[in-house]
Amino acid sequence: MALSGTLLLTLMTMAPPATPAAPATDNKSCLRCHAMATLAYRDPGTGEIVDLAIEPHALSHSVHGELDCIDCHEGEFDRYPHPSDAANETLSCLGCHEKDDTEDNIARYQSIDAEYAESVHATSDAPEVEGFSCHSCHDPHGFRASQVGEKIAAIVRDGNQVCLSCHEKLRDPFSPHHAWLPNREKHWDAVRCLDCHTPLSDTEQKVSHRILPPEESNRDCVNCHSKEPSLLNRLYQYRSEEDLATKGWLNKAVFNDAYVVGMSRNATLDLLGLIVIGLTLLVLAAHGYGRYKAYQRTKGDPK
Amino acid sequence: MNPIALKPLSPTAKRRLIVTALVLIGLTLAYKVLYPLAFESYVGKTNAPLTYASSTQLTKTEFEALAQELSTDARQRKAAAIVDTDQEPFARQVKIEMLMNTESFIRDTEPSHIKYFREAGIHHYEGPQTCLHCHATIQVTHGDGTVKTVDTLGDIVNSVHFKFQSESGGFSTYGYDGRQVNSGAHKIPVGKINRACGIPGSFTWTGWAALVESRPEHGEGEVTMRSEGCGQCHIGGNYQPATEKMMPIGDVPSEAKDGIDCLICHSTAYDMNQRHVIQDAKGLRWNQDRSLRAALTVGPINSETCLRCHQHNMGGDAYRHNAAAQALGHVNQRILHRGAKRGNPFSPHDDTHAASGIQCTDCHVPEGHKIPRGRKGVDLVANDIPTKDVTCESCHTQAPHNQSEHKALLNGHIARLACETCHIKELEAENVVLRDWVHPTWDPEEGLFEPTDIYRSGKPGKGFTFLWFNGNGTFLANALGNNPNGSEVYNPLMQQVARLDDPEIIEAVRAKAIELKQQYPDIDVDAYVRMATDPLSQLSPDMLAKREAMIQKNLRAAMNQGESRIYPFKLFNAMMFEDMTNQGPFGAMILPFDYASYYETGDTPASVKKAISDPIVQRMYQEPFKLYMMDEFMSYFGITEGWKTVYPLVDGRLENVEPHWMRQMGTLMVNHGIQGKGRDCIECHSPDGIMDFRQLGYTPERVAELQDLDIIEKLEERPASAEAREKTVQQ
Amino acid sequence: MNALYLYSGWVRAWHWLNALLFLVLILSGASMHFAGTGWLLNFEIARPIHNVAGILVTIGWIGFVIGNLVTDNGRHYRVHLRGFFQRLFSQMRYYGYGIFQNEPHPFHPSAEMKLNTLQQLSYLGVMYLLMPVLILSGWAFLFSIYLPETLFGLGSVWVVAMTHLTVAYFLALFVLVHLYIITTGDTLSSNLRAMITGWHRETHPESQG
Repeated sequence: MALSGTLLLTLMTMAPPATPAAPATDNKSCLRCHAMATLAYRDPGTGEIVDLAIEPHALSHSVHGELDCIDCHEGEFDRYPHPSDAANETLSCLGCHEKDDTEDNIARYQSIDAEYAESVHATSDAPEVEGFSCHSCHDPHGFRASQVGEKIAAIVRDGNQVCLSCHEKLRDPFSPHHAWLPNREKHWDAVRCLDCHTPLSDTEQKVSHRILPPEESNRDCVNCHSKEPSLLNRLYQYRSEEDLATKGWLNKAVFNDAYVVGMSRNATLDLLGLIVIGLTLLVLAAHGYGRYKAYQRTKGDPK
Repeated sequence: MNPIALKPLSPTAKRRLIVTALVLIGLTLAYKVLYPLAFESYVGKTNAPLTYASSTQLTKTEFEALAQELSTDARQRKAAAIVDTDQEPFARQVKIEMLMNTESFIRDTEPSHIKYFREAGIHHYEGPQTCLHCHATIQVTHGDGTVKTVDTLGDIVNSVHFKFQSESGGFSTYGYDGRQVNSGAHKIPVGKINRACGIPGSFTWTGWAALVESRPEHGEGEVTMRSEGCGQCHIGGNYQPATEKMMPIGDVPSEAKDGIDCLICHSTAYDMNQRHVIQDAKGLRWNQDRSLRAALTVGPINSETCLRCHQHNMGGDAYRHNAAAQALGHVNQRILHRGAKRGNPFSPHDDTHAASGIQCTDCHVPEGHKIPRGRKGVDLVANDIPTKDVTCESCHTQAPHNQSEHKALLNGHIARLACETCHIKELEAENVVLRDWVHPTWDPEEGLFEPTDIYRSGKPGKGFTFLWFNGNGTFLANALGNNPNGSEVYNPLMQQVARLDDPEIIEAVRAKAIELKQQYPDIDVDAYVRMATDPLSQLSPDMLAKREAMIQKNLRAAMNQGESRIYPFKLFNAMMFEDMTNQGPFGAMILPFDYASYYETGDTPASVKKAISDPIVQRMYQEPFKLYMMDEFMSYFGITEGWKTVYPLVDGRLENVEPHWMRQMGTLMVNHGIQGKGRDCIECHSPDGIMDFRQLGYTPERVAELQDLDIIEKLEERPASAEAREKTVQQ
Repeated sequence: MNALYLYSGWVRAWHWLNALLFLVLILSGASMHFAGTGWLLNFEIARPIHNVAGILVTIGWIGFVIGNLVTDNGRHYRVHLRGFFQRLFSQMRYYGYGIFQNEPHPFHPSAEMKLNTLQQLSYLGVMYLLMPVLILSGWAFLFSIYLPETLFGLGSVWVVAMTHLTVAYFLALFVLVHLYIITTGDTLSSNLRAMITGWHRETHPESQG
């Protein structure tokens, strides 16, 4: 009996559906279930909720928005219930991402690879890091690269959401980890985690994939709060040219309406202020000199 | 020595001081003595010291005998539950007795108050003051974890269980004028105390306590007294509800506070047979069990104590497992209400939570004597803690299904469906949908005229329907919400809750109308059926247009708020007498019935006349009451012209009073009677499913998709094919 | 020789405290504004110093206003309209011309009026116009998370920052001029000494009246 039971199980998973319906291959069929916002189950092993929901709007606007679900999910997903081993599918990103074999692209992926190898997400031996992959941060169903001209605040919010989805405890107001950072919440609204937690580089290259551990991360205020290019080259690379042009008369002080102490200096105002102060000093010196002359006259010409 | 005292006061200063003191004393006296007297005479209600026959002084010997009995009972019960039954009866008995007399067993089992009372020398239960002797203050743990010590009596007096109303904000109710109730500056007391309602046919002021002469046919003309009234389930023991609490100043007199029935909630051996109407020199009021037996058996609150009253509005009085309905009174037995208000019982027989021993307060977590109803409230019942959630998710998480192979899909439904939608499959068959108060029927068994239930059903689509609900409701208890697609089509106040178009229902109503016609020859059956099943037909074309405009203008915003999900809603409508001078597009002011004359004579106009002769109803039709609350009340009611103080009783005749059905059905939330196994997919997802997707505001394409689910068909096929394969393997 | 007690204890205490805080604020403020420039304070150090000094200046300013309300020091800030322009003009003429001719001071402080009209005007402007704006914008900085997103269509922090900066420049200018004007008393140091001791001394009795 036991044998036949096992056999039955094997047969059940292997057997094709009794009535092979036309396989559903378009995204609409998939989203019919997966667009349910609460499509999820609790994993019996861990007790954690496994979220199966796809936000259709995010998907269609993501970097993969043009693709069909089955372009990546090649298993037997064309019928419901999906076969039980479908969950173990391996997704091959490189299948697509290596098709572009131009030198630039290869070099790009190589450098990402190299950077990631040194990232805290790759080197840490903390148990949470197990199974970390590209998808841990780059949700394939919603990820899209930030574009020049987008609102900086939106870029920061979306970017930090990626980190905070795992590092949620940092949000706790009593968390000690960012206690040193003045105006912590304000900083989190204004800069990306990445802006401090990736190595500084003065090249044109965008942010590194090497995420730094806390002790190696940037704690020098002046890297951003000055005219140094560290932040300008990173977060503020997304300022649109147009934005800069129209607001140029304010001498680039208005970066998407943000103000960064030490960085958003209004050179016109500074120049004006310093000139007026300099002139005043000159006038005062001249006035003093005049008084000195007059004083000497009283000495030479006693009453 | 004191420099201030040294300075002598001038005669004028002295005089001023004395005058000020006298004025202050005078004002205090006026507030404490004259104001209550003036208020009592204004509303025509009385207060007097309350006595109860069951509250007696026991001698020390009697006390010990009672203590012995209660202790033995408790130990006997517990020991019997522990000792195995599959043995020699005598052996078992010996073991039970041994266990009963074990030191630790006695300590843990004996009702704790026996020891307390013995030590304090209390041999007489005298009501709240006896409890307050030790429990003058209690520690209240709030939702945020903070602990506060509060005055116990103050805590209970200001709870909804005592006041039946709240004049504060926090209502999820929207007036038909579009305003959230009591969200503005002018706050009025609203709640059960002043909510005329079609289910009980009266309201607390005129229907608090009544003694009814019944003439059961088997009694051969002999009169049996019966008890009726709202006070039977409310903890105040006075001659009327806590009317004083409706005013911005003043307090309930201490006599009324002494009438609070602590034991009905806190005692495990409270005798519901003591709950009947008694008459004294001052009038009618409800009796209580104030025996020492009840006091000594005080224990933790559990579902059983709550259900003494609350099964009435869940399973209903006639529900077979309603324990309180088995104890109707030693004398003046309470009249049993047939036709359940919700028909969703909370009892181990019909609710999976009750069956697993979950107590009411596990979900409705109290903070002292304040008990939360949950944030979502469709009706105008006051809520002690309007900010506190009572939800399924708090225990079950967002992914509650773990059993089924399709658990992920089932969980997927939660974004759109409330748990109740699948897990309350049916209500009790007693569930009343249409109740005619105007044409009562003689019940020979009881010897009373009772309102006629025109239609009862517990079936989906008949006794209850499915509506979008975001937690908001209207002033007359209509669920508000909208399809998340932002539908403009979904309009329950013109469709689902304003019309019964199931031919089966219409047939049943017609049959009932024909039956009624034999008693009331004036009834025009066709007109009667039309009015009952299409209540909007009672509105003039002008009113109908106004109604439609008001829904769009005033209610759409409240409908589109937040996140809506589909909930089941019990439907209810009643035919009552209405004051047509105060009529709007959503209904007119309904007039209460006097219970005694109603039940005894069945002469409904006479009963209305009697009820509205009550001083407080007369006051309602006067200017101060209009300004204090009725104008505001009417505005919420959808009557824009304000409250017209034309008293409908002139020279003993009812003026401009007509019998009507409310212009739409009330929708009551059903949250109990939860079944572990939910509905099957096919119950909704088929062309003749129980859910009307079109009326729920889905587009025609989506309706087609929802009704024709190829996935389900495949699901249906799968077990069959698996079976086939199994056979093959076994061969 | 005649001596007048012009500056009461609290006025002097406040003045010097305020002066010290002003210098600290200018230094720490510049350190943040021009962060990255070598010879200034470290950004991390400048920030708390600037915040603390700013809070103290606020308390000082409130103390100053209250002091002027409850003591008779306030009357020195009451503008007397009679002969206002004439006095203003003669004061300006003195600084611009008379001082070089060794003319006597056109104004002689008295217990009723210790400030000349020009002084009065500039102090009024500084203490009751610029200081409140500076203080309010400073506090707006401190609590910038509670500010609305935008103000007049611009980022509100940016508006606050530019206001704060502009006023700061004005006040730095005021400090410079103030320091210089001190030396225009009877002797180079007599005004300075008056603010230290409280006593105003005039050495030319013939210039009286």
